[in-house]
Amino acid sequence: MRKVPKWFSTMSVIALVGVMIAGCSGNNGNNAETTNNKPANTATTNETTNTNTTNESTNDAATTPDPNTPVDGGTLTVGTFSDIVSVNPIYINDTSSGDIENLINARLYDLDRQGNLAVEPWSIAAELPQVSADGKTYTVKIKSTAKWNDGQPLTADDVVFTYNTIRNPDAGAPGISTVDKVEAINKIDETTIEFKLKQVYAPFQYSLYSSLVPSHILKDVPVKDLKTNAYGVDPTKTVTSGPWKFAEWKQGQYITLEKNPNYWGEKKPHIDKVIYKIYADQNTEVQALIKGDIQMSEAIPVTQIEGVKANDKLQVILEPGPQYEYVQFNFKDENFPDKYSPFKGQKTRQAIATALNRQGMVDNVLKGTGKLMNSPFMPGSWADPGDQAVNYPYDAEKAKALLAEDGWVAGKDGILVKDGHRFSFELQYNAGNSRREQVAAVIQQNLKDVGIEVTPKGIDFATWIDQNITPGKFPAILLSWSLNNPDPDAESIFSSKYYPPTGQNGGWYKNEAIDALWTKGQLTIDQAERAKVYQEIGKEISIDLPYVFLYQYGLPQVVDASKVKWAEEDAPESSLGYGYLYHAINWWVTE
Amino acid sequence: MTEYLIRRILQSVLVLFLISILTFLMIHAAPGGPTQIFLAPGLSPEAAKIQAHNLGLDRPVPVQYAIWLGNLMQGDLGHTFKNHIPVGDILWPTVKNTMVLMGAAWLFSLLIAVPWGIYNSTREYGLSDQTASFVSYIGFAMPTFWFGIILQEYFSLKLDWLPLSDMYTMGKEGNLGDLFMHLILPVSVLTIGFLAAYSKYARASMLEVLNQDYIRTARAKGLKERRVIFRHALRNALIPIITILGLDLPILVSGAALTERVFNWPGMGRLFVDMAVAREYSVLMSITLVVSVIVVLGNLLADILYAIVDPRVQLGSKGGSAT
Repeated sequence: MRKVPKWFSTMSVIALVGVMIAGCSGNNGNNAETTNNKPANTATTNETTNTNTTNESTNDAATTPDPNTPVDGGTLTVGTFSDIVSVNPIYINDTSSGDIENLINARLYDLDRQGNLAVEPWSIAAELPQVSADGKTYTVKIKSTAKWNDGQPLTADDVVFTYNTIRNPDAGAPGISTVDKVEAINKIDETTIEFKLKQVYAPFQYSLYSSLVPSHILKDVPVKDLKTNAYGVDPTKTVTSGPWKFAEWKQGQYITLEKNPNYWGEKKPHIDKVIYKIYADQNTEVQALIKGDIQMSEAIPVTQIEGVKANDKLQVILEPGPQYEYVQFNFKDENFPDKYSPFKGQKTRQAIATALNRQGMVDNVLKGTGKLMNSPFMPGSWADPGDQAVNYPYDAEKAKALLAEDGWVAGKDGILVKDGHRFSFELQYNAGNSRREQVAAVIQQNLKDVGIEVTPKGIDFATWIDQNITPGKFPAILLSWSLNNPDPDAESIFSSKYYPPTGQNGGWYKNEAIDALWTKGQLTIDQAERAKVYQEIGKEISIDLPYVFLYQYGLPQVVDASKVKWAEEDAPESSLGYGYLYHAINWWVTE
Repeated sequence: MTEYLIRRILQSVLVLFLISILTFLMIHAAPGGPTQIFLAPGLSPEAAKIQAHNLGLDRPVPVQYAIWLGNLMQGDLGHTFKNHIPVGDILWPTVKNTMVLMGAAWLFSLLIAVPWGIYNSTREYGLSDQTASFVSYIGFAMPTFWFGIILQEYFSLKLDWLPLSDMYTMGKEGNLGDLFMHLILPVSVLTIGFLAAYSKYARASMLEVLNQDYIRTARAKGLKERRVIFRHALRNALIPIITILGLDLPILVSGAALTERVFNWPGMGRLFVDMAVAREYSVLMSITLVVSVIVVLGNLLADILYAIVDPRVQLGSKGGSAT
């Protein structure tokens, strides 16, 4: 029997289907491993970074409302580095598939720039969900005008069918944990659906930020066969409800989307055709941008930013996105060769945070595409603890003092020793991810300066997840979380209720006070009250440091501003998952 | 000859069978599996087990192998785990694309390299020979991807004469003129690499023949140099070259992964890397099988050609050569 990863249990509280990107290509910053819901309610209105001071006009073209009204027609070709798996929303588990799925499906609810649930002209819902006084019933009303692209009406049946399928363990849907608090889903009438929860669970609102599947197409397919069904893989069998439809997929080469002739929304898309072209090599992809073969890339390597900026027509959007990198400590003794975890002292962990030159990493490795983080919540989001979270400025001397206070003394070879154990550990990351490779080298040097020996080790991604991350067998790791879901709840990562194999607390961290706060956050419906809970968690966790939070980082998005246009209110929103396509329905292209 | 062929084919089948077992075991020995890639955050261990069971991944490896082999015998290469696409749908287009690219590069280099090498052997250390040596060193020393990038920068971005990458322009699939334009740059990169090896082989092989006694005899008889070269020397000089070509045949399918990557050529090299990362066992097995078949065929072909060009070699029941 193959050991399958036991990602999280049904009990976990994750509100999002994440993606793991192994990042095979050298420099790509897009190697987040996603998990669960997380914060990310960036309140900054994302002004696209002005990248070319000598060339204001180019940027203006893309960021200010064009005096010309949008034109219909044309093709937008987007470069990407990995192929899709399936665009069936029930099984989306990778960003490439998610990109496509975003364009061909209408969602029940959408998000505003602050990450709040929103009803847009292109959302299926007609109004925000009504929550009952006891917080356990969510009533959703959908528009009566919504249709599938085969002309069939989209009704409450589709909503019930989609959510019931995700809840069914036989379906193997990655999003099962987002609906595990649901007791029943009832169709009230053709446009009204009622979700009844077993308990009060505030993160549930974001489970409604989801696409639907057509019950009239899939209701007769046995649930266990859904995964192997052609829906989501074969364009001729994939009926969707969004502005574009899935027209062609040439494996490993490109995906073509065409305007949906039966699109029901009042606002129609302007762009006729969207093509996703897959580039195996990121250098080639950047050359294709310069040549004009493609008009957009969701992420280019940070090393290429300067070269792209030199080109007048290309605009680089450099805002840090919804993902953060961290160093995770393991507290279980048997994960160390000498059966001793050196990370148990709080002062030791604070010393490590102080010894790391995080700002140096942002400036030199990320080329400025990041911001320091001190808690697991997105800076600027409603849950952001701000200054309440402790910041650890780089200070090697202070780090040495903290280590000494915690009982570490220099050994013969200059490496610190405590109770007969040398302070030496292996730091694992996924091989081939050049950003992590460089950051691991910085960590090694920074910690060497204070008497700690670090051995960085790159491991093949699939192997690493299977053998180390999932079972919680590692000394320390360098990894990221992607926060595609705006809910700040991260219990399944930090709570002692979620040790492997149940959840993702692979470092075997335990802090009862914080455990209780996660629960409190789930039981508080009022957002202002909830925010206070997460600020409290942010403060506590930044003192206790199960992780060293390094920085939030961005994937530099590039747009050919001479061809791709949008009004200011429709500009990409880097702080959201898939935010680089924000309001793409309103964009237009000029030939 | 017939008896020899039958024996060789039977041997080949056995070899392929052993290769497939070994490959299967090795692929399955790699940690991680196809399920963990699609098993997402949030999927409970029970649900994960159900998925693995549905895919037959919880069976013992020998049983899985037997099932795979049984399907193969019926011409079924299986499906991908992640999205249940028939392996053939993914594999054959890439095999075809790689053969187009490598075949073009191979033929092109042969047409240049063999005559050039032979010409140089008759004028050792002349200008042409020196040039060939220089080109060879460049071909051996220069990283293909770097050379590819240089060509792209100059001919595609700067001069805008040639397409940057891919096999066809979007919407022009199947257009031969378009394909030709797309072939120029990657074929140039690959040719530099091939040229070095093949022109050296041809030159060395010809030189060896030209130093033989019978050539001296032919020249002593007063035969024209042209006649000496083409009638007496060439045929014998081609023998080792043909062997090398037969052994190099697998290059045609395995391709040059780096060149494919730089030029975004939708070939097999790229597919193999993607599928290895995704642990798509069925696709990996099929790729291995295709390459193995070509290797075995290449060897067989080299032996047969050898017998045709060299009458001293007999493919007898003993398989040895009698002089």
